[in-house]
Amino acid sequence: MSDWSQVTRPVPVPNEWTRPFWEAARRGSLELQRCQSCRSFQHPPYATCVKCVSVDLQFEPVRGVGSIYAYTIMYHSGDKRFASAVPYASIIVELDDAPGALLAGNLLGVPYTEAKVGRRVEVVFEKLNDDITLPQFKLAAS
Amino acid sequence: MPKWENRCKIALSGVGYSKVTRSADVPLAAHALEAVRGAVTDSGLKLEDIDGLSTYPELPATGHAEVDGISVVSVNCMMAMLKLPNLTWHMQVGSNNIGGAVQQAVNALIAGVCKYAVVWRAMHNPKGTYQNLPGSQAVGATQFTGPFGFGGPGQHMAVAYTRYLERHNQSREKMVTLALTQRQHTQHNPHAFFYGTPLTREDYFKSRMVAYPFCLYDCDIPVQGAVAVVLTTADRARDLKPKPAYLAGYGQRLHFEVAGRIGSLADYMEGGASSAKLTWERSGFAPKDVDVAQIYDGFSASVLYGLESYGFCKQGEALDFIQGGRIGFDGELPLNTFGGSLGTGRIHGLWHIIEGALQASGRAGSRQIKNVNVSFVGASAPIVTGTTFIFTRESY
Repeated sequence: MSDWSQVTRPVPVPNEWTRPFWEAARRGSLELQRCQSCRSFQHPPYATCVKCVSVDLQFEPVRGVGSIYAYTIMYHSGDKRFASAVPYASIIVELDDAPGALLAGNLLGVPYTEAKVGRRVEVVFEKLNDDITLPQFKLAAS
Repeated sequence: MPKWENRCKIALSGVGYSKVTRSADVPLAAHALEAVRGAVTDSGLKLEDIDGLSTYPELPATGHAEVDGISVVSVNCMMAMLKLPNLTWHMQVGSNNIGGAVQQAVNALIAGVCKYAVVWRAMHNPKGTYQNLPGSQAVGATQFTGPFGFGGPGQHMAVAYTRYLERHNQSREKMVTLALTQRQHTQHNPHAFFYGTPLTREDYFKSRMVAYPFCLYDCDIPVQGAVAVVLTTADRARDLKPKPAYLAGYGQRLHFEVAGRIGSLADYMEGGASSAKLTWERSGFAPKDVDVAQIYDGFSASVLYGLESYGFCKQGEALDFIQGGRIGFDGELPLNTFGGSLGTGRIHGLWHIIEGALQASGRAGSRQIKNVNVSFVGASAPIVTGTTFIFTRESY
C-alpha cells in the first residue's frame, strides 16, 4: 500500500475556466463542463466544446463512478514531493456519465498492484486545505 | 489525390554532429556551433554561403532556467555567433518540434527566399534532477495532473502505454527486442552516446522500473549535444559534395489535443495518422514501398504508436511486428538504424531526419541498408507536435 501521509501534493490554482470544478469538489460534488448545445461532457475544461465548438458551456454534476482508462505505477523518486509514496498508482478514469472526459487521480486504499485497465472505481474526496479538495478514486464497491 | 507539386524539389545535403556528453561541460552554444560547422563542411560549403537559419530551441526539462547559449540555442544566438554576411531568412518554431523547423526551411527554399538553410537541434542536460518539480502549486493545465504525482512526460507516456498493453492484451516484455536491436544498431554510429556500450537481454529485464510499464532502457538518456543539417534545392544539392537525399513529401500532426488531457491512446493514433496521410499522399508512396524507417523513440512505446498510426502494421500488433528480425539491418523494415534516441541520447528528432536522409543518399556507412530508395521518418511522438518525412534516393 502506498503511504501518502508524507506526500506534499502541489495545490491546484483555480482559474476562470476551472473554478466551478474546484468549488463543486469542495462541496463534495463532482461537476464537469457540459456543452449546452450537444450535451457532451468534457474535461479538462476548455474555452469551447471540443465536439461541436459551442461556447455555451456549464458545469453539471456527474456520478462519480467509472472505469480505469489507463494508469502508471511510479517508481522514480525524482519528484521529492511524492518520493515517500513510491511506488504509487496514478490513474486516468473515464466516468460512466462522461465518455471521453478523462480525469487523473490516484488509486487509494488498495495496493498499487490493483490498478488495471477497465477496473471499476468510484470517487472519494481528499481535502487538501479549506479551499481545495481533490476528487480521488478507490475501487468501487461491487 | 495528386502528388505534391514540390515533390523532390528540395534535398537534404550535409549533416553535422557535436560531441554528445552526459553532463554540460561546455556551453550548449559550443555544441550547436560544432554541429552547424560540421554540416556546412560536409556539404562542401562555407559559412558565408549559408543564408537561412531555423531551429526549435526548447528545453524539455522542467524547473530549469532557459538561458540562451547555455540551455537553449535560439536563432538569435546563432545569428550573433556566426554573423553570416549573406543571411536572408531565419525562423524559429514554437510548435511542431524540430520537424517543423525543417519544414519551415523547406518552405523558405521553395519560396526562393534563401538558397542554403541550416537547421540545428541543441539539447541541454541541466544539473540536478531533469524534471525538477519543487513547486507547492499546480497552475494551468497541471492543476488536474500535478496533484496526483503526474510529474514528467514519462508518466504521461506511460499511461497511454498501459492502455495500449491491456486493451490489446500485449506484454511489455516484447519490447526488449526493440531495445536490443536499436542498441546493436548504435554500435554502427560512432557519434551516439551508447556507441561502444552493448546492452543484453539480462540488462533490460534487470533494470529498474521508472514509470511502469517503462523501465530504464525504455527511456532515452538525457545528454548534452547538437546535430545539424543543410537543406537546399535539388538543383543546387546536385552540385554539392555529398549525394543528396530528396524530400518526396512531409506532413504534420493535425489532430487537436486538449491541454492537460493525458493518457488518451486515441490522440496518439489520430495524431500520427493525420501526419502520415499527408506524407503518403504528397510523396505518392505507401507503407509497403518503404525500405527503411526512423521512428522517434524518446520513450520506446512511441515507436509502437508510430508503426501503427503511420500504417506499417495494424493497431495492437506492433509488439509482434518488431519480432523475428524484421527491424534489423537485414529485416523487412530496418528501423532506427542509427540506434534511435535510445542509442544516441536525447537529441530529439533531427537525428532521425538525418539518418533518414543518409540512408536515402547511401551515406550511412556500415549501417547502410542495401538498395534503399524510399526512406521514412517520424520525427517526434505522434501526439506531441508530430511530423513525418519521406526521403528518396531518386529525384523523380
